[in-house]
Amino acid sequence: MNFSFSSDQQLLKNSARAFLDEHMKPATVRLLWDDPRGESEALWKEMGELGWLGLSLPEAHGGSGLGMVETAILLEEMGHAALPGPYLPTVLAARAIEEAGTNAQRMRWLSAIATGEARATLALLDADLDWRPEGTRTRAEKSATGWTLSGTKRFVPWAHVADVLLVPARTPDGLTLFLVDPAAAGLTLEPAQVMDGATRLVTVTLDATPVGGDGVLGAAGQAGPLLASLLRRGAVGAAAEMLGAARRCLDMAVGYAKVREQFGQPIGSFQAIRHKCAEMLLEVENSHAAVYYSAWALDARAEDAELAASVAKAYVGDAARRVCGEAIQVHGGIGFTWEYDLHLYFKRAKALEAMYGDADHHRELIVRRVAA
Amino acid sequence: MDLTYSPEDRAFREKARRWLEANVPTDDLKTLDERKAWHRKLYEAGYVGVLWPKEYGGWGASPMQQAIVQDEMARVNAPPAINGLGIGFIGPTIIVHGTDWQKGRYLKKMLTAEEIWCQLYSEPNAGSDLASLKTRAEDRGDHFLVNGQKIWTSSGPIADWGILLARTDSKAPKHKGISCFLLNMRQPGVEVRPLKQITGSSLFSEVFMTDARAERRDLIGTLNQGWEIAQTTLGFERGSNSLGRVTRYAIAFSQLVRAAKELRRGGRPLIEDPVVRAKLGKIYAELEVQRYAGLRVLSALNRGESPGAASSITKLSYTEFEKRYYEAALEILGPWGQLVTAPEEFEEIDTSSGEPGTWATAFLWSRAGTIYSGSSEIQKNIIGERVLGLPKEVRADRLKA
Ligand SMILES: Cc1cc2nc3c(=O)[nH]c(=O)nc-3n(C[C@H](O)[C@H](O)[C@H](O)COP(=O)(O)OP(=O)(O)OC[C@H]3O[C@@H](n4cnc5c(N)ncnc54)[C@H](O)[C@@H]3O)c2cc1C
Ligand SMILES: Cc1cc2nc3c(=O)[nH]c(=O)nc-3n(C[C@H](O)[C@H](O)[C@H](O)COP(=O)(O)OP(=O)(O)OC[C@H]3O[C@@H](n4cnc5c(N)ncnc54)[C@H](O)[C@@H]3O)c2cc1C
Repeated sequence: MNFSFSSDQQLLKNSARAFLDEHMKPATVRLLWDDPRGESEALWKEMGELGWLGLSLPEAHGGSGLGMVETAILLEEMGHAALPGPYLPTVLAARAIEEAGTNAQRMRWLSAIATGEARATLALLDADLDWRPEGTRTRAEKSATGWTLSGTKRFVPWAHVADVLLVPARTPDGLTLFLVDPAAAGLTLEPAQVMDGATRLVTVTLDATPVGGDGVLGAAGQAGPLLASLLRRGAVGAAAEMLGAARRCLDMAVGYAKVREQFGQPIGSFQAIRHKCAEMLLEVENSHAAVYYSAWALDARAEDAELAASVAKAYVGDAARRVCGEAIQVHGGIGFTWEYDLHLYFKRAKALEAMYGDADHHRELIVRRVAA
Repeated sequence: MDLTYSPEDRAFREKARRWLEANVPTDDLKTLDERKAWHRKLYEAGYVGVLWPKEYGGWGASPMQQAIVQDEMARVNAPPAINGLGIGFIGPTIIVHGTDWQKGRYLKKMLTAEEIWCQLYSEPNAGSDLASLKTRAEDRGDHFLVNGQKIWTSSGPIADWGILLARTDSKAPKHKGISCFLLNMRQPGVEVRPLKQITGSSLFSEVFMTDARAERRDLIGTLNQGWEIAQTTLGFERGSNSLGRVTRYAIAFSQLVRAAKELRRGGRPLIEDPVVRAKLGKIYAELEVQRYAGLRVLSALNRGESPGAASSITKLSYTEFEKRYYEAALEILGPWGQLVTAPEEFEEIDTSSGEPGTWATAFLWSRAGTIYSGSSEIQKNIIGERVLGLPKEVRADRLKA
């Protein structure tokens, strides 16, 4: 039993921190917030060269064959940097293609994703915002050449830069997952603006959008378990990113409390501030335990892996919101300004709280599991 | 990162489970003698003094195995061992700071619970600020004469011996004039008066010392080294029962779920109420996080790393969680949760203290953890200053010193 990172894992963490400290300074994040595309294509290429995009893909497809723990390590650092871009949806989609795809689908997408040539995303939510796969409303009907899809997908992350969308839809056989070309006929993208500039969410409307017969991912009618497993990985990944944002805010709050003086002394010497920082650290450390326990459980196929993913998402979502919010409180007026960087991380954490199942959704999953 | 148990630990768990299933008492243990007998049986089987070195009668096993024992005991709801203060930290303190004579005289009898121990630290005017204690010990050559009052002494009424902090130099700065003794509780100069707790039972007490005798050979460490020694004592006290504690919470949780299925409101079982479900989901998530965090600490302890001031985070985390946990449970149970004798449909639960009782007892008992062993406020001061490196507060006693 060893809860610490191995030396390789620690190395990955350190190099990710160093790379993002250099290439994703807050000023760069701000530039991307204002950029219509919202992500850096050059950086994406570099992430491919660093092996981040294929981290958990098999070596045969240009990947490194590592697991969720390593992915979480990177995502924590990305959250710490408030890095804008489709990393999480892309690696989740890649994972699904790797797990359920045909040889042709894997050949088409996996090494392209690993090298940074392709991006992918997941269209998991329909207009009624039900995170349960069985709540899917979008429909697919058989056509002469394959299928046609109709429906509205809301809050699809980074669909405007994606080369392929994973879209669940109902068919007469049941829930089916499709690989959809964003340029296909009848498909429109409508970006929405949200408070976190590092989050890009798009409404995807499908109006009899054609998908070829080879566009079905996995067995038709059997997408439920695959979607549930994607959501779990998404939940753990988002929790890791929120943890990184929370850790950044904690560090900024503690640093500020040491130097900001009022009433002739550093504000960190007031218990009201010191105790707040102690509570923030407690929540950050507990979040660390939750993120890496749940990531390990997925890698090890532990019997409580599904439970742990929901625990991590529910707990870290609440904790990160509180920690980032309290960091603003510790800073006083400066923390409420656009120029000060805190809100980059505060908003990043808040945006992820609502994705891959919010805390309410995961708490219900927990109760189903433990109170059956 | 690898959270699988080693083959040895799995085998150890298997063996402990089998032994406990075969030996756990079926009837409630009512008297101290019955509990001592159970304790001795546990000891002989290798499940008490797990962490103690073999040369002092212990089993020389790892923190992981210690945690496994606690976990398996919780799983079968076994009555806990007794003398927890002695075995958990007074004994280890003697092992670190004591003389050979003290080790030979006290340790084995402590392990076997032949002699019960208590901790004589807190005083009416020295709680969090323990170093301001006033009980005096005057040097009389072969012994010290002790006068003063202690309070909140757990197990005081049943204790044979106590670890005592007393002032031996009233002119030195407050942390520098304290010594640490082992005090015979069975002597005319020591009077124990039980104090009733909010749970209704009398587990702690006041101790009055009037010309009581502490032998010179029972001085721990050197004269006026007591504060330093007390710091190690507290360090041991904040060790780990992480797995067992969480298992007890989890067992209580399944009882809570059972009750929520039986109780009805508005014509349907409580468990179908979305508000109740949300509460259950929230506390269960927190409960699991306590388990993960406990494993993290345990894996570090097991590799010989000392958590140091970071153990304050663990203590703060689970004690504050325990309050939220039983608050949520009582919200769900409504007036049912307040009964002090349990109706048959809700089995009695054993709280994390091992004090048998009902939900109400557990709820009441959850208020203690954030006070003893350094209150939550003191833990936050420690975390702020020693883990986060925030500036020390301006304090009246520091200005004087
Ligand atoms: C939206 C907004 C509008 C405002 N409008 C105006 C305005 O119109 N006119 C104007 O004059 N000002 C205005 N202010 C300024 C506001 O009054 C100050 O921000 C506030 O007094 C706090 O001061 P500070 O920002 O310097 O924080 P600090 O005083 O540096 O406080 C930082 C942190 O330390 C804590 N702290 C400070 N001292 C202590 C202590 N003794 N004990 C415990 N904790 C302590 C604070 O609570 C805070 O959490 C505005 C602020 C905001 C956010
Ligand atoms: C069930 C139980 C069993 C116990 N068993 C034992 C035992 O066996 N032996 C023994 O010696 N003692 C025992 N204690 C005593 C325990 O260690 C003390 O209660 C504890 O140290 C707090 O001291 P106090 O009660 O005097 O409270 P005080 O120290 O007076 O504290 C009152 C309040 O002020 C806060 N406070 C104090 N100082 C600060 C500060 N610097 N900053 C911020 N807040 C502060 C505290 O957190 C608390 O909320 C036991 C207590 C309980 C509840």
